Amino acid sequence: MARCSGMTYRVVGLLVVGCLVMPRLVAAQTDPLEIMARVDRLLRGESSRGVAAMEVVTEHWDRQMTMELWSLGTDYSLVRLRAPQREAGTATLMAEDDIWNYLPKVDRTIKIPSSMMGGAWMGSHFTNDDLVKESQIIEDYDIEIAFEGDRENVAVWEFLLTPKPEAAIVWGHVEYQVRQDDYMPVWTKFYDEDGELSRTMTYSEFVEFDGRLVPAVMDMHPADKPGERTSIRYEELEFDIDIDQSFFSLRNLQDRR
Amino acid sequence: MSDFPWLRIGWRNLGRNRKRTGLTALGLAVGFVASVFVVGWSEGLMVEMVESATSLVNGQIEIHDAEFRPDRSLYDTIGGREGTDVQALLRVIDGDASVVAAAPRVYAGGLVSSGEATSAGLFMGIDPARELELTRFLDQLVDGRLPVAGQNELLVGEEMARQLSTGVGDELVVVTSGADGSMANDLYTLVGIFRSGLTDLDATFAVMPIGDLQTLLVLPPNRVHEIAVATADPMVAEATAARLADLLPAVDPAIEVVPWTVLNPAMVDYVALADAMYFIIVGIVFGIAIFGVANSMLMATFERRREFAVMLALGATPRSVWAAVLSEGLAVGVVSLALGAVVAFPLMVWFHNAPPDMSRFLGSDVTIFGALLSPSLRVEYNVPFWFACATALIVTALLAALYPAIRAGRTPPADTLSGL
Repeated sequence: MARCSGMTYRVVGLLVVGCLVMPRLVAAQTDPLEIMARVDRLLRGESSRGVAAMEVVTEHWDRQMTMELWSLGTDYSLVRLRAPQREAGTATLMAEDDIWNYLPKVDRTIKIPSSMMGGAWMGSHFTNDDLVKESQIIEDYDIEIAFEGDRENVAVWEFLLTPKPEAAIVWGHVEYQVRQDDYMPVWTKFYDEDGELSRTMTYSEFVEFDGRLVPAVMDMHPADKPGERTSIRYEELEFDIDIDQSFFSLRNLQDRR
Repeated sequence: MSDFPWLRIGWRNLGRNRKRTGLTALGLAVGFVASVFVVGWSEGLMVEMVESATSLVNGQIEIHDAEFRPDRSLYDTIGGREGTDVQALLRVIDGDASVVAAAPRVYAGGLVSSGEATSAGLFMGIDPARELELTRFLDQLVDGRLPVAGQNELLVGEEMARQLSTGVGDELVVVTSGADGSMANDLYTLVGIFRSGLTDLDATFAVMPIGDLQTLLVLPPNRVHEIAVATADPMVAEATAARLADLLPAVDPAIEVVPWTVLNPAMVDYVALADAMYFIIVGIVFGIAIFGVANSMLMATFERRREFAVMLALGATPRSVWAAVLSEGLAVGVVSLALGAVVAFPLMVWFHNAPPDMSRFLGSDVTIFGALLSPSLRVEYNVPFWFACATALIVTALLAALYPAIRAGRTPPADTLSGL
């Protein structure tokens, strides 16, 4: 279970790759699970720490936030806002399937009830569910290759992710495009149960952080609100840092730095 | 009377067999009482349903930004981003003769947390003085008092208080999204607990003074989501809404003035369905009665064959015989109606003013279409329906007499009198 780590990426809830319990022994080059696992291995480390800027643009307001993120395995992560000043210290802890928010203004921690997991995380276009569900992709979906070949002169795979009947997934299906030469994700498209595009996540500016090639920028575009988006840009990112489970505690959640 | 002796003959024939007449009349009278009563009870249910749905929490009319429904977005305040002069709108609304009360409201979704427990909440910002005149759910709090503006005080429903294991005096954390995108949060003191009887509402609503909620949401005081309006009678809501829509000063972007009939079309349909059912009930009740009455009328005319034969032999026309029998039917109808009215109206007055409480049998309150119904048998008066019932009764009596009348008119005088 711990072979793939759900870190920074998982924290911001974007990666659709998940924890591969067990790579298949007879994994052909085009085995979708093997490819997804490899993408995952490239993007993740056992643990991570990073700093990211998040910009949320809506019809009514724009916000810039800076946050520091830590992760360990697929089950633990912590995000703390550094800016804007008024909300600095606001933090989110994800431990397994639960999410807690720390609110420095009132100095209280609240656990997000399951009924609110579909709600927006920190006013962004990500939901609380995105933060915890992302690490379970391979358990929750059946994965097949829908397309293999060139798109705009780039060799890619396109995966079709269909929720398993028993999985508690709000999407009808998910499409995911990965470049063949460097295993970098290009986009993820989320469709609702009627097959309508619901939102698109794009990955760009592939740069090396701490020796790993990762997309530095991720943009989430809701399909029904054309002008709106949430963009996350990594400013710092380091992998396999010295951190253990005790870091991801409610007590640490409340520590102001 | 001598100009039209058949009516008198018909009336006198009632006395020929008083027991039979009494039973026939009783059959029609019971049909009348049953119809009036069942419909009165159904009407009582409808009136209570509509009153409950439009006065418990909602008003009979709601005024919003035209975009507010159905998403109820935080940003779709009356007057849009710029807001509007809420007091000026309220002055115009209060000035309408049909308006009993009007109150501005602000809504937002978020979380309410107490200790370990957190619950999804719908925050409702109210003007307590105005709200008390408009709605009933805050009239009698289960515990505590109404919140005071500027003190970070709030009310929650009984079910939410139970889920959060919290009580009056406890501190609650409120989290929502501000209109500027910020994560709005603050501490509040729980000062009161209300019970509307509607479980959903009691589990999700948290009520605070409108100004406090606007501060939390970073909304200026001139931005409200709704002005709820109560009218003297739910039935005038549509006309009042149309009048208010004309009277209110122009607001940009456009506002809508919506009566409850538009907000709760299912209830309107249900009331219309019930109205249609009333006539089916009348049809069934008198449809059954008509055969009983026809049977006794047929008996009554058959045993008077010789009498009709004498009348015809003496020069009465068949038409006169029909008139005599139909008059008898009419007389039965009038007697039944009198009997029915004497039984029905005292009962109606009793059940209207002091309806028996059925809670012993039903256990608790009943909700339907978001309306709370008390388990009582209150009846409502529906005068046009009473007249419809009375007409149906007379028509039934006449129809029942029709065939016997035709038979009587065809009595062959010579054969009948000769004993054949």
